[in-house]
Amino acid sequence: MRIAMVTTHPPSKGSLNEYGYHFVRYLRLKADTISELTLLVDELPTGGEYALETAPGSVPVKIVPCWKFGALDNALRIRKAVQAAHPDVVLFNLQFATFGDKKIPATLGLLTPWLLKRSGFKVAILLHNIMETVNLKSAGFGGNPLIEAVIRLFGNIVTRFLLSVDMVAVTIPKYVEILEGKYGAKNVMLAPHGSFEEPTDAVPNTMPGGASTVMTFGKFGTYKTVDILVEAHAMLQPDHPNLRLVIAGTDSPNAAGYLEGVQKKYAHVTNVEYTGYVAETDVPRIFGEAWVVAFPYTSTTGSSGVLHQAGGFGKAVVLPDLGDLAELVQEEGYDGEFFEPNDAQSLADSIRRVIDHPERQMEIGSHNYMAANGLPIDEVVDWYLIHFQEILKK
Amino acid sequence: MTIEITTKEHTIRIIVLALNGRLDAFEAPALRKVCDDYLAQQVNHIVFDLTEVSMLDSAGLAVLVSTLKRTRLANGDVRLIWPRAEAAARILKLTKFDQVFQSIEPSQIVPRGF
Repeated sequence: MRIAMVTTHPPSKGSLNEYGYHFVRYLRLKADTISELTLLVDELPTGGEYALETAPGSVPVKIVPCWKFGALDNALRIRKAVQAAHPDVVLFNLQFATFGDKKIPATLGLLTPWLLKRSGFKVAILLHNIMETVNLKSAGFGGNPLIEAVIRLFGNIVTRFLLSVDMVAVTIPKYVEILEGKYGAKNVMLAPHGSFEEPTDAVPNTMPGGASTVMTFGKFGTYKTVDILVEAHAMLQPDHPNLRLVIAGTDSPNAAGYLEGVQKKYAHVTNVEYTGYVAETDVPRIFGEAWVVAFPYTSTTGSSGVLHQAGGFGKAVVLPDLGDLAELVQEEGYDGEFFEPNDAQSLADSIRRVIDHPERQMEIGSHNYMAANGLPIDEVVDWYLIHFQEILKK
Repeated sequence: MTIEITTKEHTIRIIVLALNGRLDAFEAPALRKVCDDYLAQQVNHIVFDLTEVSMLDSAGLAVLVSTLKRTRLANGDVRLIWPRAEAAARILKLTKFDQVFQSIEPSQIVPRGF
């Protein structure tokens, strides 16, 4: 089977680059099923270059930078690249802002799967979020009820275009039910996120040495904001003077300058470290040093890769009691301490319930490790390939 | 002149694994071990009888799918006997694996299913 995948991939810092990286890593190991893989990736700034290590026996990969975040002609350029690659199946790794943070380029880019389907290709989409559950205000779009209504209308239209392809995979069970119920879709399937880490028999260290460390990881400024986490950290400091808070990651592409603003606003709060961009090679260290991983989200826009990573490293987590996330935790067998969204005191209390109770910390960490190991991304990739084979039979 | 008779016997070994209880991230490793053992013995036709499975999550389903993949690579296959509990059937429907696995009735286990 020849596969083309439209995705971001490191060193691009575009959203979903990490998922793209891990998904591709395991696709390349499926030489028993895949004969050729073409990555249709976004163009890097001048001087940047994609480089993938080759391993004996792995699937040959061709990297074709053929689209640009914010450009208006991405659909046509991607179609041209797909026509040149002539794959059996084209897979998109998508969220609503993959192709741009402005409405027109974002929408035009999202028409690409439909365009390819119309051009005769078999097309599958991994859709990380759906319009029905996105809090537009939190996600950086909207601000005016009329504009929000227009965006929702266009979101519905774009969703119908997306659903016109052969298969749409989503990572949260509720999304399948929404797309089937509202749009009458028959081609939507659940494909859980999967854990990035390789399963091992030994549970990793759920309780590292050193100062107790709360860590949060991601791209911040839209629905992932760290303000209440810094406030919760300040509340914990009087009785936990050595507590570290590590804010690992960068601004969201839709919220440039957010973290710089947070640093200024909370300059008086001590023991807070801002790591900036975390390279793949540093991820194990960042997670390894954490006692607890915090999710200061105000809403969710899909499954949480960070939750699966935390599980893979055997970490305790504190989570907002938000519908999607709470359902995901239950569906995939994770555990954690919950707090009220946007409530710093509630967040501080949930952190306290972990760091002051080593047995609970260990219990959550071990539990999450089992849950993450239950479905590594390696096997999720197999799920896609089995469904692709079904698509090709039709 | 005497007739020459050549006999060929085709034996398909089919293993039926009847499961009872929850099949989740905590129970899945035990099932995976059993499947690994049979696959190592070249058993490539496996029936999972899910009738009495009360709950199936994505980690549990992962074992069934992994076994499906490995048996198919060896020209075998996996069949399912459908679970009675909706909590167990839900994940099969959500993931559309109800359209990938062939489900059979207990009376159909005999080889014609293959």
